[in-house]
Amino acid sequence: MTKRPGMLDITRRTVLKSGAAAAMLGGAGSFLLARPNGARAATLENVHIEAAAKAKELAQGRSVVLTILEPSGSLGNVKPVADKWTEETGIQVKYVEVPLGEINQKILLEAVSKTGAFDIALPATFGVPDLVESGILVNLDQYAQKYEPEDFQKDALYTIGDYYKGSLYGYQTDGDTYVMFYLKDWLDNPDEQKAFADKNGYELKVPETWQQLDAMMAHFNRPDKGMFGGALYRTQFFIAWEWWVRFHAKGFYPFDDDMNPQINNEAGVAAVEELVAASKHLYPGARTNGLFENFEAFGQGDKFCNIGWGGTQKYLNSEKSKVRGKLAFGPTPGGMVKDSLLQTPYFNWGWNYVVSSVSREPELAYLFTLYACSPTMSTIAVRDPGGYFDPFRGAHYKDSEIAKTYTEEFLVVHEASMRGSIPDLYLKGQGEYFDILRVNLQAADVGEKSPKDAIDETAQAWERITRRMGKRSQLVQWKFLKSIYPETVRDRLV
Amino acid sequence: MSTEAVQRHSGPDARKGWGIPIGLASVLPAQITVLFVVLMPTLIVIWLSLTDWQPTAGVPWYRAEFIWLWNFYDLWYDERFLNSVVRTVFVVAVCVGIELLLALALALLFLDEWPWRKLAVSVIILPMMIVPVDAANAFFMLFNERGPINHLISVVAGRPYEFSWLSHPLWALIPIMLAEIWQWTPLMFLLVLTGFMNLPENQVRAALALGASPPRILFRIMLPLLLPVIVVALLIRSIETFKIFDPVYILTRGGPGAATETISMFMYNGAFVYFRIGYIAAAALIVLVLVVSICMALARPIKRFQG
Amino acid sequence: MVRQTSRIGLILRRFAVAFAMLIAFFPIFWLISTSFKPYDEWAQWPPVWVTERPTLQNYRIVFAPDAAREFAATQAGSLDYKVSGSAWKAFGDSTIISVSATILSVAFGTLAAWAMVRFGTGGENYPFQFLTVRMFPPIAVVVPMVVLFSVLRMSDTYLGLIIAYTAFTLPFSIWMIRSFIEEVPSELEGAAMIGGMTRLQAFRSVTLPLVKGGLLATALFIFILNWSEFLFALTLTAGDVVTVTVQVANYVSASSGKLYGVQAAMGTVSTLPVIFFGYVIQRHLVRGLTFGAIKR
Repeated sequence: MTKRPGMLDITRRTVLKSGAAAAMLGGAGSFLLARPNGARAATLENVHIEAAAKAKELAQGRSVVLTILEPSGSLGNVKPVADKWTEETGIQVKYVEVPLGEINQKILLEAVSKTGAFDIALPATFGVPDLVESGILVNLDQYAQKYEPEDFQKDALYTIGDYYKGSLYGYQTDGDTYVMFYLKDWLDNPDEQKAFADKNGYELKVPETWQQLDAMMAHFNRPDKGMFGGALYRTQFFIAWEWWVRFHAKGFYPFDDDMNPQINNEAGVAAVEELVAASKHLYPGARTNGLFENFEAFGQGDKFCNIGWGGTQKYLNSEKSKVRGKLAFGPTPGGMVKDSLLQTPYFNWGWNYVVSSVSREPELAYLFTLYACSPTMSTIAVRDPGGYFDPFRGAHYKDSEIAKTYTEEFLVVHEASMRGSIPDLYLKGQGEYFDILRVNLQAADVGEKSPKDAIDETAQAWERITRRMGKRSQLVQWKFLKSIYPETVRDRLV
Repeated sequence: MSTEAVQRHSGPDARKGWGIPIGLASVLPAQITVLFVVLMPTLIVIWLSLTDWQPTAGVPWYRAEFIWLWNFYDLWYDERFLNSVVRTVFVVAVCVGIELLLALALALLFLDEWPWRKLAVSVIILPMMIVPVDAANAFFMLFNERGPINHLISVVAGRPYEFSWLSHPLWALIPIMLAEIWQWTPLMFLLVLTGFMNLPENQVRAALALGASPPRILFRIMLPLLLPVIVVALLIRSIETFKIFDPVYILTRGGPGAATETISMFMYNGAFVYFRIGYIAAAALIVLVLVVSICMALARPIKRFQG
Repeated sequence: MVRQTSRIGLILRRFAVAFAMLIAFFPIFWLISTSFKPYDEWAQWPPVWVTERPTLQNYRIVFAPDAAREFAATQAGSLDYKVSGSAWKAFGDSTIISVSATILSVAFGTLAAWAMVRFGTGGENYPFQFLTVRMFPPIAVVVPMVVLFSVLRMSDTYLGLIIAYTAFTLPFSIWMIRSFIEEVPSELEGAAMIGGMTRLQAFRSVTLPLVKGGLLATALFIFILNWSEFLFALTLTAGDVVTVTVQVANYVSASSGKLYGVQAAMGTVSTLPVIFFGYVIQRHLVRGLTFGAIKR
């Protein structure tokens, strides 16, 4: 505010001049440093300073307000960063909050209604392809070319969801990879270890494969004694995610190279059968409990294992939980493919900073997203105890406050999982593909359909969806998506 | 405009000769609003239903690809849609039926005067005053696995009972229907009670004097006299229940799977979760035609009882 | 008939009434009771029927987002289910929309009803055309309405919802007011016109005062409908406009758990005005909900 009078003094001419000078400088700088992407002097360390400076320059003499559409509860992550942004650039930030399960729908609705209600949004990553196809997202390639420092994306641990058909559409700002939680006491109990080893012929420890995990859940499930095998999710929203990991761990892509579904091959059916069988060893609330109830239930300390994210650990490591400090962590179990262990941790949610194509200030909006996802600023965002963004950049794992929230042991597993995470089905119509999968898996889980029928019907429905969405266009993205699966699993899946 | 008309045409017998302009002017605001909100969308729905439009199609809706009647063809074979129709009809029949029986039984308890009768009526009609979304929330809590319903069952059964009502494909519909019945039986009760109160008393007295038994009086005299009220009540409740959305959305969102999807929920999911706008527009058109034609056929009885 | 029932029968009947009252009240009791429960009792087993540690925490979360933030950070271990928007905005928006739509609906409805009763405008079947609106499943209209509103830039605005609400409550206002006006003999207006008044003046100074109570009842009735509406509010808004019903549903999401206590607090507060108005017009509820078909 106090800077206003000074800013008004600058004439249009000087603004133009300085802009041109900056551009020239930028050009020269890039030339000298031979940066392939033409970025200026920005580096990972100072990208937030550069972005803010550039934004201040662009917004000079105008009063700009950027509106962010954010999922309920993320204010804790967004606001501290936005406050700094406003401080440094003079650009105000406004927030519109919608339930986190509905934010993608609201953005798609905006593609229809074009109200210009927001400049920046934080959709769930799996919905980005639909948003791109609807035309509501700005292709960020040109801006990235201009502003993104060289290793910006390499430094982020998971960026598969940022790209669609080869172009950049957003920046991942949350580390939502699946991680396993186990009760250490139960694993370390010598009596249990002996009994388990006698029965199964191998050691009781953090399991490496689904087969081992299922055996352990069966071993520990003693409802009459108030002990349960696990707290894995069986609610509609979550059930498909576990299957996705079980299926990939058997060494297959969901589609072949011509986009014929192969989810109903032998591995797919077996994955359903195993998932349904494992339901017997879960606590009674598994079929109804959502996120919050799941945390609370596992926090009781009478269930052997749980699946979850950084947010789960934040809760379990809080004073509310009885298992604080009593947990062992592991990546999602894998499978033996060609005699060696294949692990396919899974990035199933995450939030992406994207720019609305209806925005009047797309460049400023982009600069904000760059600013917010810079190592320095995103550390502040992740650090905030009132938010739910999990670590997603190398820098986050070195921050002592973040380490305190999550514990060191957890972060080791989390970082490794993040680096090797398989993506969700980032295709147009992701919601439809996954919904039919969820419906059928749930039907199989409650015994309404046989596993084979359930997954066969899903595959048929997938073919129809692909046809409706336009097979040629889908194939382009599928081939692209396959090419950016993490290196650790890319060559091992068929 | 209308004031001018009045000044020019007013007079004691304006009713026949001159009434039309002012009459027309008076209904215009209402008529225009309704046309705007009903006619325009209906025209759009007809166009959309013949296209395959989705926001993800990358073209504006008015330039969507025309696909003739393929949406209707697909709907005809879409089990999920057909199931939702059947399920909705089932819910209407069960809910409205139970509401009527309960209402009749309740109303019979209120035929005489007693000290706290007024208070009792006020308490019993409380449910219909609640915001439906809040009522649905209350039922969500009641039927929660760790909610009071399971607790009551546990107490009666003498062993812990933690049944997941809302995630069972068959039972999940029960809490939804109970919420609906709980909320709207009071309306039915009020209607029936009003009907009973307005019955000509002397007929009942005469029958009593002739020595007829109470059940006979109820079935032979009171219910037939009450029939018009009952028909109106059934009609209105059926139409409203057919649209059932709020409790489904709050309690299950149509899940588990699609086990509790009513027509409204199916269309909501299709249009606002998957954004298959063209497809859902076709479903909407079918439902509109269906509902309006059924209602037109049924409107006659209402008209008759209007008197 | 009643006098003949035995004493035991009488006791049984009163007992049945008491039981019905209990059932009717129980869910509301649970809502209110839960709204005062501290966080750890929301989903406790066995459930806590009446808390021994009543707290206003839930109401604070509803009305003061900062309290919500603090709550999430300190008590729940930063989960992703909290809402930081204040319910004040929802109450404000709902009031603006419901009141405006009610005024429009009753004004348009009164004019139309008067014309129908006094002039028979549109003929005998005309009122039924409006009734059809009420038969339309709103979801079928909402889909194209989203498209239409986008063209007209009415998505996520007060105006959009006000128009939708006005249209969908018009059947009630027209039919209800019609039944009230029908009760006023047209001769009264005629007499006033002989005294030199115009048609409209006669209506205003003779009929309107006589149906004043009825109009008020209609207005309250329609306000209740508008306040309670959910589907339009859910689909025609994008976050800028938030009604109370949407706010209630916002404390829920498909992926995370439900905030039982907060939801209950919001539920209790949002339903209070409706219950109050409901009892004010109790006498007219039947007439309203049956489109004036059944009068008292």
